[in-house]
Amino acid sequence: MAREVAESCVDSLLTEIVSSYCTRFYVNKPELAARRIEAIGYQVGHQLCERYTMERPRFTDHLEAIKFLCKDFWSELFKKQIDNLKTNHRGTFVLQDNKFRWLSRMSAETSSAAQDTTSMLLYFPCGIIRGALSTLGIPCAVSADISILPACKFH
Amino acid sequence: MIVCIAVVGHQNNPLYIQSFTEADDALKLHHIVHCSLDVVDERVNNPKKSGPMLNETFLGLLYPTENYKVYGYLTNTKVKFILVTTDLDVRDADVRNFFRRFHSAYLDAVSNPFHVPGKKITSKTFAERVTNIVKSVSFHTTG
Repeated sequence: MAREVAESCVDSLLTEIVSSYCTRFYVNKPELAARRIEAIGYQVGHQLCERYTMERPRFTDHLEAIKFLCKDFWSELFKKQIDNLKTNHRGTFVLQDNKFRWLSRMSAETSSAAQDTTSMLLYFPCGIIRGALSTLGIPCAVSADISILPACKFH
Repeated sequence: MIVCIAVVGHQNNPLYIQSFTEADDALKLHHIVHCSLDVVDERVNNPKKSGPMLNETFLGLLYPTENYKVYGYLTNTKVKFILVTTDLDVRDADVRNFFRRFHSAYLDAVSNPFHVPGKKITSKTFAERVTNIVKSVSFHTTG
């Protein structure tokens, strides 16, 4: 039986996590807050990945694992696949989502304060990706950048 | 009869091990499990031998000993499940089925937010569930 989570709940939860870490626990240490949020994402990614890979054969190489992440894992999480996957064949992958669900309700304001808030929100999905990949045996570093909302790239 | 079941993490660190015998032979069983890890590694690193079942999670019979048969299962996340049984005449399908149920029990255990990834599984519910699965499974002899 598939269990689902209301999207708005996840949205609010994410906003709330970010705001409590940034404005209450680690007010003066934004880097520490980012690390904590990423760590939460890591555990979530780790556990989701265990679950979603249950019924499938083992992956033979990294590309296959990344493909799994782009297609199946992403559709489980966001009901859509990654729109664009690029690689330099030297171990760097760029995943692009043109309509990232968790950012689709963000204001398109371009002031630096607004952009800071948005980038804080992205530490969580970064953590999820890192958790998922390291569970599959690929240690990695994940960073995100936003050019035009709600498009989003993960490196 | 299933005598021992083990979950081993991706760095060959034991996550869970339980034996189901009356006699005091836990150490011997642990030893068997330990030995089987090498066989798992060998299977994974030399895929030629295993032929068609190249990427399957179920690794099949790892090795038979005089009294036991050892089966293995490797998840996508490099976690190994080892099963030691005294039944010498077992159908693969039964073992497969057992591992599938065991895998879902394991999944539910690690999805617990209080479980620290990479640490031993201490959940009582998990232990209970495993015991139930082990009890409910009886490998029918094909004879």
